Amino acid sequence: MSTPGFKFVYDPELAGFELAPDHPFKPLRFEITRTLLTAVGLLADTDLVSPTPLDDDDILMIHDRRFVEAVRSVTVASRALNSSSLSAFGLGTSDNPLFDDMHDKIAKVCAATVTAVDLVASGRALRTANLAGGLHHALRDRASGFCIYNDLAIAIRKAVDHYGLRVAYIDIDAHHGDGVQWLFYDDPAVLTLSMHESGRYLFPGTGHTYETGKDAGRGTAVNLPLEPFTEDASFLECFDMVVPRAIEHFAPDLIVLQAGADMHRHDPLADLWLSLDGMGESYRRVVELADTYAGGRLVVTGGGGYDPYQTVPRAWARLWAEVIGKQLPAELPATWVDGWEHRLGVSMPTTSSDDQATWTPAPRRAAIASRNRSVAERLLATLEKIWQLK
Amino acid sequence: MLVSDVMTRKVVAIGPDTPIRDVQTLMEQRNIRHFPILQSRSNAEPDALIGIVSDRDVRLVGADHPRAPAGVTSAHPISQLMVFPVLTAHPDDPIEETAKVLRENKIGAMPVMDDGRLVGIVTGIDMLDALVRMSGVYEAASRLEVEVANRPGALADLLGHVAARNVNVSSVMTTRGDPDTVTFVLRVSTVDGHGLARHLRDQGFSVPWPPEPGSDDVPRSGGRAAAIEPVTDDSTQQA
Repeated sequence: MSTPGFKFVYDPELAGFELAPDHPFKPLRFEITRTLLTAVGLLADTDLVSPTPLDDDDILMIHDRRFVEAVRSVTVASRALNSSSLSAFGLGTSDNPLFDDMHDKIAKVCAATVTAVDLVASGRALRTANLAGGLHHALRDRASGFCIYNDLAIAIRKAVDHYGLRVAYIDIDAHHGDGVQWLFYDDPAVLTLSMHESGRYLFPGTGHTYETGKDAGRGTAVNLPLEPFTEDASFLECFDMVVPRAIEHFAPDLIVLQAGADMHRHDPLADLWLSLDGMGESYRRVVELADTYAGGRLVVTGGGGYDPYQTVPRAWARLWAEVIGKQLPAELPATWVDGWEHRLGVSMPTTSSDDQATWTPAPRRAAIASRNRSVAERLLATLEKIWQLK
Repeated sequence: MLVSDVMTRKVVAIGPDTPIRDVQTLMEQRNIRHFPILQSRSNAEPDALIGIVSDRDVRLVGADHPRAPAGVTSAHPISQLMVFPVLTAHPDDPIEETAKVLRENKIGAMPVMDDGRLVGIVTGIDMLDALVRMSGVYEAASRLEVEVANRPGALADLLGHVAARNVNVSSVMTTRGDPDTVTFVLRVSTVDGHGLARHLRDQGFSVPWPPEPGSDDVPRSGGRAAAIEPVTDDSTQQA
């Protein structure tokens, strides 16, 4: 089944590496998701596009040359000096360990996101996905939080500079999208909007409501920090309060969604308590916003997600399904389940939704929802005031 | 961090005969709140620091206010208003010492003197800037509070466990409750702050922050609000 207008950027190498054997960020998630989509018939070979390799100049639009040279110097991790020159760039720590050919591997992830954006910006596709992308913490001269190069920022920079587009970046990863926000903090052509677990409790500590952009970019950074244990209803309520209004006001030509899957209740690195159904609802809303405000143009990426077998593949399969206007079937194919159980030696999920019957409600559910609501209300009031002044 | 690291070097100083109204104008135009007053000397010695005025002293002139200086008008020289003797800092003073002096004397700024010469001015805002820089708050990090016994080696023990996980530390700050314990505020460059907190708890450390996931009531020292109770949030006020 071919789905014209929708493209899925794919290269086996995007999933064919790991940062370190026991590292929580597992590129294999991408391959598990792709095989699920193929097994249920939502992804045909004709939907796939290979990433176009990047020039160094593309990476240097965002990243500092000395940083890129440091990353490039690590070809054989075991032989690289774990020197202070590398740790000054955030490299060689438990979060951002050295691995073989790290530049080439991450440059390919960036190439895939740039390809996804190029296809939409040039009108060759309406909506695209690079589920291997979404490295939103990387900074101009520093690796941070499992992210070495910022594929999102490189692709957005190109959409703005090369195609002259206004880009709305929506980040629903459990962690604040700090790298992308700071890289476009004074840029009026890029709206960065992040919903995340409050920085009081979680890395990277930023994403306060008062971070609203600066200079010409004032009013083009939006941050909605949420309480730990936020569940579907409260998350979606806050989304509906803030996101459509911000997108409507900004009037983008293109929406880029970073769909980190770590806001799920079973994610081990964060404390938001969404279900797959709630996450699916948020994906549906973003597709709807793209249709209403951006001529349908949407690029989606992955991001965080540290329950790599049970949660992430189902979340991102549902994401792609929303992108192409389809649904993931309730029962997942036995071939896919058995295949990965055999290969990984772990139990794989058999349904597209969570079994919520066994879930206990969040402690103080009403208080959490009320707190989130009042943060969203005040955020919106603040933003309206800033937007009025501009 | 020393006073020389945070002070303003370009100081606008004035002479004692400057009319108050000229100081008012300077204050508004240059957005300056404290003026050291220098008296030039006939010999080759540097000008002498003979007083200081703040924006509040100047604003009260001619105001209908119980603390307005009696009989002083804006035509009078600034020497009528200046405060002396002046508390001063030295470029090599540690900033924590300077912060203490500012706070204990309830003043907003101190001229910085080196060998009898005015070389800068240091203000309460500089102290806040220093705190911000020392806290490492501009670096992406997870924030932990760890309470340890007040004994030699306690911090080394703690950081040994952090180092063993190959996690870099952006800052360490110390707060004290009762005399037997010290709480260290660590900002660490890792996504998995919860994992590190769990590991430290397993090693017997008391980790009041971040709260343990799933814990319903979170004990906080010093009567602070429970961690995830809805409390008044001031985070939108600045915008």
